[in-house]
Order: sequence, then structure tokens, then C-alpha cells
Amino acid sequence: MKGGVTKRREHYVTYWVLVLPAFLIYILVMAFPTIYSVVLSLSDYRGGNLFTSDINFVGFDSYKEVIDDQYFYVALKNNLLLVFISVFGQIPLGFIFAYLLSRDMVKHKDFFQTMIYLPSVISTVVIGLLWKSFFSPNGAFVQLIRVFNPSYEAALSSYPFGQVLFVTLWMYVGNYLIIFMANLQKIDSSIIEAAKIDGASEMQVLWHIILPALSGVIVTASILAISGSLKAFDLIYVMTGGGPANRTTVLSIFMYDKAFKGAPNYPVANAISTIMVVISFTLIGITKFIESRVGGRE
Amino acid sequence: MKKGKHTLTIALALLLCLVPAMLFAGGSSEATAAADDGKINLTVLNYRDTSATNSANEDEVVWDYFLEQNPDISLTIENIFGEPFLAKTEAYLASGNLPDVIYMWSGGKSASVHQNHAVKDLMPFLEKDGLVDDYNPAALVPQYGGYLAELPEGITASHMIFVNKTVLEDCGLEIPETLDDLLAMVPVLKEKGYGVFAMDNMTTWVMQSTLVSTIVGRLGGADWYDRLVAGEIDFTDDWFVDSLELVELLYDEGVINRNSLQSTYGTSRGPFALNQYAFLVDGDWACSSLMMDNTTGQALLSRERQENDIELIVFPEIPGEVVHDTTSGTIGTGYAISADIEEGSAKEEAAWRLVKYLQGEHVQEYRLVTGQAFPTNLNVDVDKVIEENNLEPLVSKRAEFYNTYSYTPVIDDVLSSEVANVIDIGLQELGLGSKTPVEVAQDVQDTWEKWLDKQ
Repeated sequence: MKGGVTKRREHYVTYWVLVLPAFLIYILVMAFPTIYSVVLSLSDYRGGNLFTSDINFVGFDSYKEVIDDQYFYVALKNNLLLVFISVFGQIPLGFIFAYLLSRDMVKHKDFFQTMIYLPSVISTVVIGLLWKSFFSPNGAFVQLIRVFNPSYEAALSSYPFGQVLFVTLWMYVGNYLIIFMANLQKIDSSIIEAAKIDGASEMQVLWHIILPALSGVIVTASILAISGSLKAFDLIYVMTGGGPANRTTVLSIFMYDKAFKGAPNYPVANAISTIMVVISFTLIGITKFIESRVGGRE
Repeated sequence: MKKGKHTLTIALALLLCLVPAMLFAGGSSEATAAADDGKINLTVLNYRDTSATNSANEDEVVWDYFLEQNPDISLTIENIFGEPFLAKTEAYLASGNLPDVIYMWSGGKSASVHQNHAVKDLMPFLEKDGLVDDYNPAALVPQYGGYLAELPEGITASHMIFVNKTVLEDCGLEIPETLDDLLAMVPVLKEKGYGVFAMDNMTTWVMQSTLVSTIVGRLGGADWYDRLVAGEIDFTDDWFVDSLELVELLYDEGVINRNSLQSTYGTSRGPFALNQYAFLVDGDWACSSLMMDNTTGQALLSRERQENDIELIVFPEIPGEVVHDTTSGTIGTGYAISADIEEGSAKEEAAWRLVKYLQGEHVQEYRLVTGQAFPTNLNVDVDKVIEENNLEPLVSKRAEFYNTYSYTPVIDDVLSSEVANVIDIGLQELGLGSKTPVEVAQDVQDTWEKWLDKQ
């Protein structure tokens, strides 16, 4: 009996010894900042030392300020478009490319796989600078068009966020290609062969075997795409800085501008951050709900 | 055996606890080492574009020279440029760990530093050392926070139009003297395939700082800000709305190409030098980018071209302007001392020695020679330096520019960033054609009133 208690105590101590460092780090760098961010969003903090400055609670003033700001809706709309293009653009394209390559439907498989994945191994800042330069009024895009139409004059794009969406699509398809290819290889080929022998068409194989088997992966990919799109910052910041006139801004850049550009408004920035967390959880919840209703079994 | 297990568990726990401690301790190793060797270590937050013309030899000429002259001081310098510099300053302020010496602006761009009194008043230091008379009196006036937060390295004209005479001559045109002259040039220049104003308006502050501040000054008068604060005028009045309407006209008539809203700051200097534009609208600091880089010997504009092809002017006469021949200008940037440094300490003395040196004759002469700034230190004999160093023509043309034109305020220098940002974005909205001048003026007025309420 005594030995059992000692053993249980030993397990208990070992458990906490192993968990405590990670738990403390998590509290320090994740949980505490998140909660403190909510606290700051309800305060009138105007800069200075975070823990010694006088901070008064002002309720939901900052949230009202965010909701009253016309550019919040531009940022939100752009973010939702990014989510849309990620979930319904990057993931389907990544899947299609992975399917074509893994089912040996195209020649030079390695070449295409490398080319599609290449943007994923280049620094985001380099990609941003490259495309910014490409689309600039004196850039390669204009020069390219002038080869066919010498009198072409670069006009202001009527929809500047379109360029960002295009680059985002180009840049991240490779990630999903790799995820889907890895999981397609896990599907037992004998099942597909048996289906083929039984007379199943390629579409039937895709619909009844491959897609159900990958439903969990698709949900995971969707969660990655949603969270990635909501925190999108680096590429857009380098490419456009959110301009012109905030037309290409997203919530993270909008938040950054409020916190660090000109006169800092930390409560509003923290309110935006809290809104982003809520949106993120909501979208991921919807994805999980859809998966639970229509997803197959792996 | 059991004891051995316990020892292993405790050792593992200690190791896991020590790893983060060791990681966090790593950051201060340099400062500790510096303190151990008996030197006073100063941390410096410096604004520097390390890829800019004449930036490469700044380490040697400015910072290493200081260390040679002051062997009892060591420096830990952080060089940052552009928006990230402002973000880092805000982050330092929020953490309460401002570096000992920081680069900053005299106006609203460094509003948080001024308003939080995060840096020391430098006037008592100047008075104590008897240096007040060594500086241009205009450079020592109280700044945004009501005191001398930074010692300015120069007086800056935020609006300067560089004229490409080669392009004008090719089109049979003269330098425009009035707005009508300018508008009449547009079809002629377009016919020959030239652009009119080279500007990079994707960067939000560019239009406001390098053009609109001057227009607002012309139509509102040199004292527009004082009258605004006194409540005598509003942003919805004619002086401001007319200024915005002029910007709209410049876009509509093709003086400013709308695609400049997709061009980031600095990128149009090259095309201007390549004779693709008739005018470059920029600040006086653009001179250094066009001049020769001392380390490579390369220049966007050769000495010969600077002498024969380039003129420095201001925006032509506008109908209804109340002041003439003005540019927008402000006290330049400079270095400040953190208020956290203990008064009367050896560190404070070292920090002042550094700030004094950075605005002393040696560094200001270097900045003049490289075209970065025009000196505030009266001990720098500009004419003599130009002659002795056989400086490039743009330096003397710049000196002449300062003597020719008078100044009106720069918008983002006198207004809080909160208000200036709305003007910046509003000017881009005008470029996009998505708001009218009246709507933009109303947005600015609303923000101004909101800001006033908070004061």
C-alpha cells in the first residue's frame, strides 16, 4: 500500500517536472499576453511602461471605435476574401495538382512538383519585394505588356487587392500539394485497384475512395488556411503596406497601424486582435461542424 | 536505485528551468562585457538606411571616429530605417526600456516620445557647456512636447521640385512660373512620352509632406496652424478644401499620374534621372540620393548633369495664394537622451558627449559633404566646405534654395499623427477618386475635433 502511494507520488512529481516548464512557457508567452490583450482592449492605456502606468478601464469604447472605423470593414472584407481564396483556391488547386501528380497523370512529375513547391521555400519578404517590383508602374509587368502594345501606359489597378490574392494563391498552393501528396500515398493502392477491377471510373475512385479518405486532411488543411489567412501580414505588408488608401489592408496590418503607426492607439489595436481571435475560432468551429456533418471516415 | 531516479528527475528539472534562463540572459551579454572592461556602454537607436547612397562609410567616419576620440565609451548601435524604426521606438516606449540615445523627429512623427517626456530637455546641457550660440537659433526652439527634446542636425525643406531641364528643352518648354503654365505643359510632355511629376504616393506621408504641406501653406498662410489651434479656421474652410481640390486637379489633368499610388517611396528617382519625367517632387533629403556615393563613385546624376540639367524650385504660383515663393519646412531630426538615465551620472555625461559630437562640426560637415543635411551648427562654414571639398553642384544649389524660399509648416510636423494620418489616407482617396475634397476635409475636421477633445 505504502509502495503504491510512493509510486503514485513519484508519478505525480515526474508528471509536473516534465509538464511544468512547457506549461510555464505557455502561460508566459501565450495565455498571459492573450488575456492581457483583452484587458488592454478595455482600458485607456496610452503607452509607457505596461505594468507601472496608470491604466483605467473604459469599457467597450475601443470596440466601438473599431466598429465605427470605415477601414475596419475594408480590412475584414479583405481578410474574408483571403480566407475564401485560401480555402476554395489554394486547397482545391493543391489537391488537384497532388492528385494529378500522384496518379501519374502527367509526365515530368518531379519537375512540376518542384516548381509548384518552389515558392514555399523562398522567403516571404523576397517574394513580396519581387512581386511589388513586378507590378510597379515601371516594373516588368508593364514592360511585358509593352512588348505587345508599345503605347500601353500603366494605369492604377481598379482592384489592387487582386494582385495580393493572386500572389497568395501562387505562393501557398505548394504547401497543400505536399500535404495532399503525403496523404495520398498513405491510401492503400490495392483498394483503388480493386475498385478499378470492379469497373469504377476515375471520378468514382476520386469521389468514393480518395475524398472520404482525405476528409480529415482537408479539414486540417482548411484550419491551417483559415488561421494562416487571418494572421496574414508579412507578404501584404511588404507588397503594398496595406495601401493605397488602405485598399489592401487586412486585420493584422490594420491592427499594426493602430499600434505602431503615428500616434499609437493600443486599446484599439488590442480590440482588433481580440476580434481576430473570435473570428478565427468561429470559422474553425464552422469547419469542424461541417466536417462532423459531411465528412467521411478515414 | 530510487535515489538515483530522484536525482535524475531533479537534474532534469533544473536543466529545463535553466534553459530559458540562459536563453533570456544571452541578450545582455554585450552590455555586461562592456561594463566589465571599465567602459560606459551606451545603447543607441539609430535611423539609418544602410543601403542608401553614402551610408557605407558612416560607420568609419562617424561612429568609429567617436570611439577613437572617446576610449572610455562603448556603443551598442541598432540601425533601423523607415516604418520599422517608428514601430521599434513605440515598442521600446511601451516596454519602458528606451535606449540611452535615440534618433527622433522634432514634431508629431515622434509624438509619443515628446508627450511621455521620455527624453531629457537638452537646453540645460547646451547652456551649461555655453553652446547655445553655436547653433542656428531656429534650430533650438521648443519642439512638439514644449522643450528641446532632440538637437537638430539641420533645417529641412520637405518640398523641393527637381527640374529636369533636358526634358523641358526637348519639348521646347520653360520652367513653369504659375499653375496655368504647369497645366499647359502636360499635353506637350505627354505627346513626347514624358511623365510630369515623378512621385511615389503609395507611401502614405509622401504626398502630404512633399507637396500638400506647401500648397496648404500657400493658401492658408504661414500661420495656418496657429489660427487653427486658436479656433479661427477649420479644415472645412476654403484654404484647406481648395488645397485638396488642387490635388484633385493635378490628378485629373495628369500632372500626377494615378499609378504613382502603386509606387513606393524612392523608386521614381531612378526614372527621373533617366529623363523619363520632367520634375521630381521630393524633400531636400533626396539630394543625397542623386549625388555621388563616395564609396562606389557612382551617381544617379553626374556633376555635369547636376550643373547643367537640374534646377531646384518650388511649386509654381497658385491663384489665390496668400504667401508666395514658399516651401514647407521644419527643424530637422536629431538625437535625444533617454529620461531614464540618472541625472548627473557618468552615463548621462557620456550620452551628452555623444549627442554633442553627433551635432558637432565633424559630423555636420560630413552630412553636408554627403548631401544628407544642411548644418545647424554655425561653426560649419558652408561656403568654405563647399569650396575646399569641391562639392557637387547640388550642394550649392541646395544652399541657394534655402536662401531663396521661406517656410510654412509641414503638416505631419505640427499636427498629431492621429490627424495627419487621416490627411495622408484622404489624399490617397483623392487619387483613387473615391472621395471628394469636401468629404476628405470633413473627415480631417472630425478627427481634429476628436483629438482636441482628448487633450
